[in-house]
Order: sequence, then structure tokens, then C-alpha cells
Amino acid sequence: MRSRHARILSVGTANPPNWYTQQDILDLYRVANPMVKSMFKASHIQGRHLVLPEADEAGVPQEDQATLLRKHRVWSLKLGRECIEKALTDTGLSTGDIDYLCCITSTGMMLPGLSAMFVKHLGFRVDCHRTDIVGMGCNAGLNGLNPTANWCAANPGKLALMVCCEVNSALYVYDDTMGTGVVNSLFGDGCAAVLLRADDTDGPTQPLPLPQVVDFYSHLIPQAWGAMRYNWSTEHGKFSFYLDRDVPYVLGIHTETPVNGLLSRNKLKRRDIDHWIIHSGGKKVIDAIKYNIGLTDFDVRHTVNILRRFGNLGSGSFLFSYQQLVNEGKIRPGDRAVMMTMGPGSTIETALLHW
Amino acid sequence: MYKTLTFEENGDIATVTLAKSRINMEMVRELTEICNHLEDDSTAKVVVLRGQVGCFSLGIDFAEFRPDQPMDIHGFNKWEKICARIERLPKAIIAIIDGDCHGGGAQLMLVADAVIATPRCDIQFNEVHLGFLPGMATFRLAKSIGLGHAKRLIMQCPKIGADEALSLGLVSMVSTDIDEALSKTIQAFGPIHNVAVTLARRLLNESFSTDFENAIGNFLAAQHRAIHQTPFLDTIRAHTDE
Repeated sequence: MRSRHARILSVGTANPPNWYTQQDILDLYRVANPMVKSMFKASHIQGRHLVLPEADEAGVPQEDQATLLRKHRVWSLKLGRECIEKALTDTGLSTGDIDYLCCITSTGMMLPGLSAMFVKHLGFRVDCHRTDIVGMGCNAGLNGLNPTANWCAANPGKLALMVCCEVNSALYVYDDTMGTGVVNSLFGDGCAAVLLRADDTDGPTQPLPLPQVVDFYSHLIPQAWGAMRYNWSTEHGKFSFYLDRDVPYVLGIHTETPVNGLLSRNKLKRRDIDHWIIHSGGKKVIDAIKYNIGLTDFDVRHTVNILRRFGNLGSGSFLFSYQQLVNEGKIRPGDRAVMMTMGPGSTIETALLHW
Repeated sequence: MYKTLTFEENGDIATVTLAKSRINMEMVRELTEICNHLEDDSTAKVVVLRGQVGCFSLGIDFAEFRPDQPMDIHGFNKWEKICARIERLPKAIIAIIDGDCHGGGAQLMLVADAVIATPRCDIQFNEVHLGFLPGMATFRLAKSIGLGHAKRLIMQCPKIGADEALSLGLVSMVSTDIDEALSKTIQAFGPIHNVAVTLARRLLNESFSTDFENAIGNFLAAQHRAIHQTPFLDTIRAHTDE
């Protein structure tokens, strides 16, 4: 008997080896602006994995756009390889068994895209179906999970792999202003891969049933279209990410709409949701979500913890939280989870999982 | 329809009357059903918790425990969950304490936003004298009346009469006329905007366990939600019209 929905078989994550505290970054970049300094210190982030050039006596040298694009490509392959290997560990599967590959990134532009690079270097078959989702931002993991899960449902028994690759340090612009300071104090580097298949064959060593991806619900906020965006900085000759200060609140107040939509369509109440897997966007947006849909600190413990250890990892962040939830060992058969990612558009994406 | 309590809804007021003097798992289940209804379908603005004449509740029903059976901690967890749910309802919660209010009954009283007592009320956190703990009253009571008073009430288990309960701030009003006291209390709550009431209560409940930096972030998130709700928009519209 085949299951109608895709199930999440496994998740793997990877980060670059160097981990920097907020103070490390202030020191490396010789940050002088006291407002930027205090923002780093008030942050709810302990530290982040980043790929930064070696500092010389003048601090960390500036990287031009070509260097940043190369960094994105090189580290996407390194981290992509590592997180894919981890996702396949203990499954008895290899990249050659994957029938559909969906790659997501917003931190660098490549042509050919990530998926073609992964096929070339990582042992995927040349007839593996591919999709690249580029430039959708922090929410993109769920925008990718939706077609990936649907592909699984349409192709029962076939394997799909989604990889979120974000090298946020390839977006670094340093000019001692608050605008770039917000970005530089928030984002970290990390990749996450998730393996899906629609059938009843659970992984070989799974202690638990695997969650079905049951439904998705999207919500775009067109009036906040420009709240998060890439600007081209002619001064620096690179892209510079802009983040409006009202973003956390605007996202927070719209959270009820997709959550209510997702739950009511599935005849569920908020109290029926056992776990919340929310993108670690930043402290303020987590607070805004908590008070708008009545979540507790316990509900957002993984979201907060991932933010503290890794910063905002972009599109793969929610998969880090998912992995931590699974490793915690509290999931019981029958449990339900809501996944939620937020990002440019402005948008809130949600998904419903059922164990 | 319920076995351990009665429930009625009259306009803005929903009333839960405990019909049994002891709290058992069936009562917890029935309170859960009532919370489901109050969260999903009810337009009531006030929830009144009360007991029988002369007895609010005598606390946990020990008949559900057997010395020869393994002790079950999960029942206590279910009790705490229902108390927390009542505490978070988007309504004003008013408890009426007429007569005995012991153990779990006193714990339940603590989740109310206002407590009306009759002069014959007799409040006692008696658990420690019986060899167990008064649930999360250890958490709520210290915040409500201060650590010193809470230590005395929980560790020495004194019976607290109406005058002392009033002076401790454990109850907000003492009256022989329950109906009059209830209508005065409801009036004092005013219009009861459910979002503002729920958010204010949550921030207050979190106040002792949150540091200032986190609390101000929480406040701003809550305030942003409140000022986008109809009641505040009506307030500023009325102000603009003046």
C-alpha cells in the first residue's frame, strides 16, 4: 500500500568549520560605529559559522563581487556534499539513487545552477530530474519542499532530495553603517539536505514512523514588497541586502492568516499541533510570532536555539530546527507539526507534517 | 451532559460550576472539553469558576490512587495543563470561593484573574501536610502574594479566612452577596477586549521569569498586535472624531 503523501526520510546539515562570536566579528572588521557595536552585542546570537578571509594588520580585507561569487560556488559544493552525505547516511542509499534534485540558494548567482554542479561532482545520475530555486530568500525551503513533495506524491517510490545552500558570508558588505550592520550581525552559513519519498518503506533504522508532508499554505504580503531586498551598491560594486526595521512586526501580524488557513483546511486547531518548526529569522520576528499566534517559549525552543548557535541560516534554517526536534526524541506517532518560514515578498510559507 | 460539573452560558458570561467536591481525571477531561468550546465557539467574555454552596473544592480525589499500584505522574501533568489552559483563555476568569477551598481547589483559584470570596471562605494549600506538593501553586503563589507569604501558606498549610485572604491579595473582594460582587467585578473589567486582556495577562504572568531585555521585546511584539486590533482602532477613531 502506497502512501499518498511524501514522507521525510532524513535530514543532513553542514556548516563551514570556522565559528565566530559576535565579538570576533566586531574585532575582525574593526567595527567603530558604537550603534553597530551595540546591535551586535544585543543580538540573541552567540556565534555563527562563516567563511571569512584571513585578517591582516588592517583587519579583514574587503572581498569584491567576483570573490564573493566564487566563495558561494566553492562552499556550496563543499557544504552541499557534506549535508547530502549526512542525509544519506544510514539509509543505504547513494546520490545515484536519487530521481529528483531540488536546489535552493539566494546567496549567489550561478549558471549553470547548483543542481548541475552537484550532478557533475557528487555522483547523481545524469537523468536525475532537477529544479533550481534561486532568489526566493529565507522562506524558499518551503517553496521548494512543496514541489519536491508533490513530485514524490506523483512518483511513488521514487527518491527526491532537496538541498538548501546558503553561504551568507558571500553577501558580506562592510561599511560601518547600521544597514549593513543589521545584516552582518544576523546571517550565518549553512546547508541542509532533506530526503523524501512517498511510500510506506521507512528507513532501515528509524525508531519512529516518518512524518508525512500533508499540506502547504502560502501567504504573500504585497504591501511589504520592498521590506527585504537586494540592492546593487554602486559604491561597493556588490549586492547589498536591505532589511526594513518593521519586518518582524509586519510578518508577525500576518502569521495568523496562513496558520489559520492551513489548520482549518485540515480541520485542526492550534492545540492539535504538537511541534512548531519555525525559521530562525531573528529574535524580534520570533517574539512577534509568539505573541500573535500564542506560542510559548517551549514551542519555539529549537528556533531560538538554532538562532543562538548558528544565526539566521536562510532557507535551510528550518531543517536545522527539524533535525534538532527529531534528535530530541520527544516525537510520538500521531504528532503533528507546523513548519513556517518567512522571507522576502514579504511572505510566510507554512507546511503541515503528520507522524 | 457533564458528570463532574455544570456549564452554562448566558450572554457574555460562561459559568463552570464544580458539582463534585473532589477533582478527578474525569473532571480534568470535562474541563478540557469546556476549554475547547470556550476557545472555539464561545462569544462569552467572562468565565466564572465556582463550586457548590459552602464548598469550592476539597482538592484532588485520592480514591483514584491505590497504594498497591504504580504512582502516575502524568495525571498531575494533565492537571497542570488544564490549569494553564484556563489561565490562557481569551476571557476574564473570575473565581467565586464560598466556603472550603483546599488543595487543588486553591490551585485552581490561582489561575483566575479575580477572586470573589464569601466571609466563610476557608482557603488552604494543604498538600505539604499530606506529603505531596501543591502543583504549580509553588510557582504562581509566590508571584501572586510574595515569597515570604507563599512559604508560610505552602509549608505551614494554615487555613486562610476571608479577611486574611483579602489582605494578602489572594482574593480581590469579600462579600455576602455573591451576585452583586460578581456584577461589580465584571463591571470593573470593563469592555474586556479579548486580545488586550490575553496579552496583558500573559506579559504579567511572564514578568517575574523574564529579564528586562527579553521582556521589552515581548512587550513590543504584543503591543504591535494590540494596536492593530479593532478596539484600539476604535479608540483612536473616537479620539479623532472629537
